[in-house]
Amino acid sequence: MSVRTLQRTLVADTRDYFACDHSHARCIFTIVTASSFQIDVPQALLARACAGDLGAFEQIYRRFERPVYTLALRLLGEPEAARDALHDAMLKVFQRIGQFRGESPFWGWLRQIALNEALMRLRQHDRAETHDDLDAFVDEAPGPWVHADATTLERALGKLPAQTRSVLWLYHVEGYSHPEIAGMVGKTVSFSKSQVARGTQRLREILEPSVGPMSCMIATAN
Amino acid sequence: MHDRNRQLNLADALRALPLETPEHSVWPELAAELSRDSQFGIRDSVKGERMRRFAIPALLAAALAGIFVVSFRRHETPTSAQTTNPGSRITNHEIATVTPDNASSNTNSAKVGNVHSAATDAAQLAALQRRSQDLERWLSETGDVAAPLQGQDLLAATEIENLIGLVDVELTAKRQMQDTGLWKRRVDLLEDLSALRYSNYQLAAGGRVIAASLTN
Repeated sequence: MSVRTLQRTLVADTRDYFACDHSHARCIFTIVTASSFQIDVPQALLARACAGDLGAFEQIYRRFERPVYTLALRLLGEPEAARDALHDAMLKVFQRIGQFRGESPFWGWLRQIALNEALMRLRQHDRAETHDDLDAFVDEAPGPWVHADATTLERALGKLPAQTRSVLWLYHVEGYSHPEIAGMVGKTVSFSKSQVARGTQRLREILEPSVGPMSCMIATAN
Repeated sequence: MHDRNRQLNLADALRALPLETPEHSVWPELAAELSRDSQFGIRDSVKGERMRRFAIPALLAAALAGIFVVSFRRHETPTSAQTTNPGSRITNHEIATVTPDNASSNTNSAKVGNVHSAATDAAQLAALQRRSQDLERWLSETGDVAAPLQGQDLLAATEIENLIGLVDVELTAKRQMQDTGLWKRRVDLLEDLSALRYSNYQLAAGGRVIAASLTN
């Protein structure tokens, strides 16, 4: 196992949840994996796809449609652009499936293609966002996202600049390290760190006003 | 201060977001394109195209050159043999062709074969890695000087860089990075990229000849 793979596995491990259902005689462990891409594809299915079987392609497409689309949507922020990225990424996967050598997981190979597609579009639509490098400031207080529902959090994410949102997503959800992200977006490690800090702070600012009035009401009532 | 564990709350919240689904599936379009494209199993984008266009003629030319050299040496052998006589004058050309064991045309043919068989995998791998480093150094050194790529060139360069990224992913997945095939593919792609950048670099450098840095 390479150092990078080991690091990623350790990061994933720290993020796993173990839920225990005490109503049963034994505990049921639910493991939430680090990335939605981590889907096992049977060798037989891959072999059929390599041989050009359209049915096998469709099965692979169905398995990865949502992870690829979600990644593209989180990075690009626009459903139409995300759909284009999904289309092009899957087309490349099928055209190049013969190049996959099976020495790394198929999902990792596919995710890299999907990520490249999304990043390429992000670069093309980069509106020269300029951000000064900041020291990564991490607020240790629990964030308002703990209480926010999915729709509110998605809306708040959508308000972040594309690059900030992308770095935040790649770091927190896909488990990439700062040096890896810096390499992907062609910036420095400190840029990646500052984007995570900025994104976290900005999300807090966007989400907190919705909590604010409730606090006031409670204070008034008291 | 900067500790990933302290931000797990946000990571958990983001990862708990439901997966998104496109409004309309892309599959019907993909299926139609894949059905239309009878070559999709073989197509290998820029590299494949270049291979088809250049590699086959290059191989044919190399084979013809090889046949010419072998037959030329066969004719030359008697003359070279005379140079072993004491007192006879050895020309520069003969020095180049005479070796201690080239007694007959048969041994010459055998030597050609031995050269190929002597190229071990390790040597091949080392050569490919050196070539890869050289090309990467050249690309990095000329990056600032070259005019920015535009249009089709930019798309092609991005495509090649993506493919190099994929090869690198596979190389890092291999513990020892000893796969000659992968290194060969990497070098091929870097050469494609260099060729693309080369024309721009030439333009930016006012047409100065810099072929040496590419061929080294």
